[in-house]
Amino acid sequence: MRLKARTLEGLYALLLLLPFLFTLLVFFLYAFLRAVYFSFTDYDLFSPPRWVGLANYLRLFQEPLFLTALKHTLAYSLIVTALQTLLALLLAIALNQPLRGITLFRTLYYLPSVISTAAASLLLLWLFQRTGLVNQGLSLLLAHLPHLGAFLLLFLAFQGVQVAWERRKGLPTPFFDPALAALSLLLALLGVYALGALGALVPREVRVEVPWLPSRASFLGLPYPLWAIILMNTYTTIPTFMVLFLAGLKGIPRTLYEAAALDGATPWVMFRHITVPLLRPVLFLVITMGLIGTLQLFDQVLFVGGSGGAPLESTITLAFYVYNNVFPSGASPRVGLASAAALVLAGLTLLIVLVQRRFGVGERGWS
Amino acid sequence: MRRIAVLFLALVGLGALAQTQVRISGWGGTDIAIVNGLLKDVVQPRMDREGIRVVYEPIEGDYTQWLFNALSAGTAPDLFYVDIFWSESLFATGRVEPLDRYFTPAERGEFLSNLLQAFTYGGRLYGIPKDFNTLALQFNKDLFDEAKVPYPNQQDTWETFEAKLRQVQERLKDVAGLCVVADFARFGAFAFAAGWKPFDEKGHTILDGNFRRAFEWYTGLVRRGAARFAQDLGEGWTGGCFGGEKAATALEGAWIAGFLRDKAPNLRYGTTFLPLDPVSKRRGNFVYTVSWSLNAASKNKEAAVKVLKALTSPEAQQWVLERGLAIPSRRALANNPYFQRPGKEPELNRIVFQGSTPQGGNVFPFKFRSLGGDWMRPINDALLAVMTGQKGVDQALRDAQAALDRLTGRR
Repeated sequence: MRLKARTLEGLYALLLLLPFLFTLLVFFLYAFLRAVYFSFTDYDLFSPPRWVGLANYLRLFQEPLFLTALKHTLAYSLIVTALQTLLALLLAIALNQPLRGITLFRTLYYLPSVISTAAASLLLLWLFQRTGLVNQGLSLLLAHLPHLGAFLLLFLAFQGVQVAWERRKGLPTPFFDPALAALSLLLALLGVYALGALGALVPREVRVEVPWLPSRASFLGLPYPLWAIILMNTYTTIPTFMVLFLAGLKGIPRTLYEAAALDGATPWVMFRHITVPLLRPVLFLVITMGLIGTLQLFDQVLFVGGSGGAPLESTITLAFYVYNNVFPSGASPRVGLASAAALVLAGLTLLIVLVQRRFGVGERGWS
Repeated sequence: MRRIAVLFLALVGLGALAQTQVRISGWGGTDIAIVNGLLKDVVQPRMDREGIRVVYEPIEGDYTQWLFNALSAGTAPDLFYVDIFWSESLFATGRVEPLDRYFTPAERGEFLSNLLQAFTYGGRLYGIPKDFNTLALQFNKDLFDEAKVPYPNQQDTWETFEAKLRQVQERLKDVAGLCVVADFARFGAFAFAAGWKPFDEKGHTILDGNFRRAFEWYTGLVRRGAARFAQDLGEGWTGGCFGGEKAATALEGAWIAGFLRDKAPNLRYGTTFLPLDPVSKRRGNFVYTVSWSLNAASKNKEAAVKVLKALTSPEAQQWVLERGLAIPSRRALANNPYFQRPGKEPELNRIVFQGSTPQGGNVFPFKFRSLGGDWMRPINDALLAVMTGQKGVDQALRDAQAALDRLTGRR
């Protein structure tokens, strides 16, 4: 019997797809179905699973630790996605300018994303120690507030005098004229230095010793250690998304900008009506990937909680909650509960991505 | 030619048949060199006579996860390490073979009784302790000399000990008396000294007046100028501060010796017992111990037990002790000449060994039923909150008690 060409082609396609389908079936579909089954049972890896119906899900929503994890995960995801998308876009636009040596800056700004999360977490621990750079920087800043104030006043004064002088000569000078500002800056620095040397300005005695990581204190409803992770993660993921945005920006035809410029459009109008609509597919990708990635935050929690000494309640996220229940330290595995939590996380991720797609940025470009 | 080949194959096959294989596993790190040496010098020569071959498969990474998975999947080795901390949740699964029928009462009696007790669950013995550790007080002799403060000694109470730490910290400025951690694994020893017990007969945890006395003393050390908070010195454990000469004393077990050998080989240190509670006039301590346990699904239990006996034999423990690698779990080794040798490490090992005896005071194994880390967390959180000034003692203890009540079902 001879097979039809189409059938044969289909069979070849299937054959080539087989390895991928196999891993998908075993490591995704089978694992997923098992997790669904376990989430309805009481299972500790040893005794046979015991059917408990919805008990695990009900217990989850009564457990304070789970609710904390849920709150942290949602807040973390929204804040980090918003921050990193915005900053990556700004950075990409800045690095898209035709300037000399821009490649060097692109490389430099891309560097943070090369750091592994473990190394980044270690940096985070050092930065946020009680005697770390963050506290030292804050101490320095607060101690020199008088200097800062004086510097600002002097700068404004010098700049005002210069601008007034120029305007009296009949030149239309904006207040923050860069050439004049550079001179004012220099003069203001000298002025502050002189005041300091004369003893008119004395640094205040300030020592900031905030325990950022081993802390339960919170800011805007989120604990300090989580804020530290937010900062760190935003910093390390911006470059990756920046590269995506850069690629998107390169794909926008220059002619559109030229036509807009001819019609007298300002940069802001061009940004709003050309850049953003044409970047929409990339924007969709970045936001969706950002949401999915941030909802799965895990390793930083492990490091900041382990070596950083942050209390579990201050850093726990859903992914960590799942792990912590499968392998609780010194106790029997709670696989049923962990599976239920994992499915809640999966459902949540799906829901958020769908909501984002429906009401936020869609994947299609301008219509 | 073919006949020779057949004969050869048959001989090899017979050899393999005659030899029983026993697989053993433990965690990696420094243990790999120790177990390999022990197997080569002591265990395997003995097993060769019995026709048993020991296959050692150390596990790098998270050993507990690996063991739970392997036992669940039926791929676990015949013998494996069990840490006292998670022992009860493992023994409760029924995947570990009780050892009562393999060891006569006389054989069992040769091990330190409180170690055997630690591995007894539901009246049955589930592991033979391979070694153990307790907490001791290490002090930097040079720093104490420099500050002209007498060394801590075994008559010290919390108060006299604290006074010495305060003097050191006052006179040396950039050195802390002690660096404290917000960890029950250290603080607990002081709570035990005060007469507090982790669980009452109903299985509930009550943070009583004794607990509070120890808690106030321990968390107040920083405020009273006797200690600094470890994280503030950029360290995670008291040994780290000690090795970096950031603190004059440390509260650690014999494991600190290996660390100091690498980090500060010339550091002159001495070791003594933990200070006494001035009220109860007793000290407290933890026993951290690890056993060799037998897989209930093992196919060669008899052979595995022979290996287990060889691994914990007097010769094996002598071998380990003489190299200063671990503290033996056999009673007979208490008077071993090794402990009387001059030098900082034999002294450290001696004090750690005696920490488990009546001299150690109120000693508890480092395990908390099957609650593990979940049980310690409320107490650690309370320690942290008070030590970093985020809560008062009353508030912190109230919160911890509420969390413990939820956990132990007292509410």
